[in-house]
Amino acid sequence: MKTILNFEWLKWISDDAAKNIFLVLFVLIGILVWLLPKDYIYEGLENPRWWHNLKLWATGVLAMIFVTYLIF
Amino acid sequence: MLTGIDYFVVISYLIGMLLLGLYFRKFVHSSTDFFLGGRMLPFWAIGMSIVVSDIGAIDFVGIAGQSYRYGISVGNFDWIGSVPAMLLAAFIFIPCFWKSRLYTIPEYLGRRYNDGVRTIASLTWIVFFAFDLGIIFWASAVLLKSLMGWPHWVSIIATATVVGLYTFCGGLTAVIMTDVVQMIIMFVGGGAVVFLGFFKVGGWSGLVEKISAMGPAYQDHFNLILPVDTKTPFPWTGILFGLTFVMANAYMIGNQAIVQRCFSAKNEWHAKASMIFAAFLKMLIPILVLFPGLIAIVLHPQLEDGDQALPTLISTLLPPGLGGLMFAAFLAGLMSSIDSVLNSTATLWTKDIYEKFIRKGASDKHYLMVGRVATIVLLTIGVITSPVSDLFPGIYVAVQTFLSFFQGPIFSILLLGIFWRRTTQWGGLAGLVGGMMSSGLMYWFKESLFTIEDPFLYVSWWSFVAGFSITIVVSLFTRSHPVSRLYGLVYRLKQPQAEGTA
Repeated sequence: MKTILNFEWLKWISDDAAKNIFLVLFVLIGILVWLLPKDYIYEGLENPRWWHNLKLWATGVLAMIFVTYLIF
Repeated sequence: MLTGIDYFVVISYLIGMLLLGLYFRKFVHSSTDFFLGGRMLPFWAIGMSIVVSDIGAIDFVGIAGQSYRYGISVGNFDWIGSVPAMLLAAFIFIPCFWKSRLYTIPEYLGRRYNDGVRTIASLTWIVFFAFDLGIIFWASAVLLKSLMGWPHWVSIIATATVVGLYTFCGGLTAVIMTDVVQMIIMFVGGGAVVFLGFFKVGGWSGLVEKISAMGPAYQDHFNLILPVDTKTPFPWTGILFGLTFVMANAYMIGNQAIVQRCFSAKNEWHAKASMIFAAFLKMLIPILVLFPGLIAIVLHPQLEDGDQALPTLISTLLPPGLGGLMFAAFLAGLMSSIDSVLNSTATLWTKDIYEKFIRKGASDKHYLMVGRVATIVLLTIGVITSPVSDLFPGIYVAVQTFLSFFQGPIFSILLLGIFWRRTTQWGGLAGLVGGMMSSGLMYWFKESLFTIEDPFLYVSWWSFVAGFSITIVVSLFTRSHPVSRLYGLVYRLKQPQAEGTA
């Protein structure tokens, strides 16, 4: 029970591999964001411009966090 | 101790905030104005308000203290513990909530499940916020005593008076617009400490070099990913499962004080954009709250209590004037947290409890008055309960401990409610209650169940799993709501257009 609750069954994963799991998560989120329908992103705007594209905003934020976790 | 010019800066700041907040009183004519800023606010103001509400006294003092003890792994809370959840909120949950014209998150739970779920969720948040206020007040008192020698009760009552006045008068608009100014002051004041601190320790490379040379106790201070068997509360498994998958989502999606701001957006795009803009700002927050703890390791390595790291830096590092500015920045974080909690709790009480169970069908002016009175009552409770946080060794961990009791179960039913239309009202109720009970049991037996110092991340994850599983099992054995009742409450489930309409 203690082994399960404390995730000791994941001890075999090295710290470097764990870091890669985090990095893959960021990439996966980015892919999911880009799969969202375009009209859904602009909902609420009458005259959307390119900088209203929230997929670009999300990608910028994900790039920042990706680099942070890559370094540390 | 602060000098004359520091006091001038602090007093000017307090008066300025009070006047700015009171100015917005003239825009409050209805309960919608008071609770949701008239649904007229732009993304940038909401985004700044989300961040500054989340970063308060607790973070300035508590995270600096945690980074002093454990290193940059505490930055996970602002990075992976925020950004992915904020994107999920922005693209999936916030649009759904905004379109439903909600006032509170429990209101969504009430529509999706039943009034029982709504009431339990709302009362839980109200009780949590009341305790949270006490913790916030105590954090401020610790710093004020360290800096200025003020007795705890003097600083608590002084802060409560200023924030209470403008929140009472100006509602959410005053809260958000003062938050905008407070965020700028926080960045300037906090940035000054970091800049001067880096200058003193020889820049980033000097900091890394000096801490790394301090021995094996500091070998993980620059690692975000800590091993499973670490004795700190932040093993990578806890960060991934407890923080990233549960607590962060529960906080950014289910926390009334955060999400209520997005309800005040002027349209759906602004609601989404506010959360993504906030995610960008969140990426910068650890620079202000985490780095001072690291700098203090080099400059003051013998501190007994990590929570004294930031106060000690302020008193030894900053020249006259800048000390006052940093102090104003700390007050900004403190006040922005208090005003958010006050307004959100008043909304929960008025909309989910008072309007639902105590007095239905009263005039809008009456509910506006109830919201204002609730603000004052909660403020009083927060002041009285503030010494409770002194019983816990780390201020920040104390808050997380409170949160982890119910964040997991609430997020489990929010997630299933929005993505799985088969989820039933009884499944939601059983999942919420069962999940919270499992949290309680895990904390009761934590010594025999967990190996790390404070297992709040693991408790969050396992209580989420419990709530999630119970909800699914009970839903499969009970009848779901008709689809017509779920329109707008389940992701991408839209009411079909009637024949003949465009």
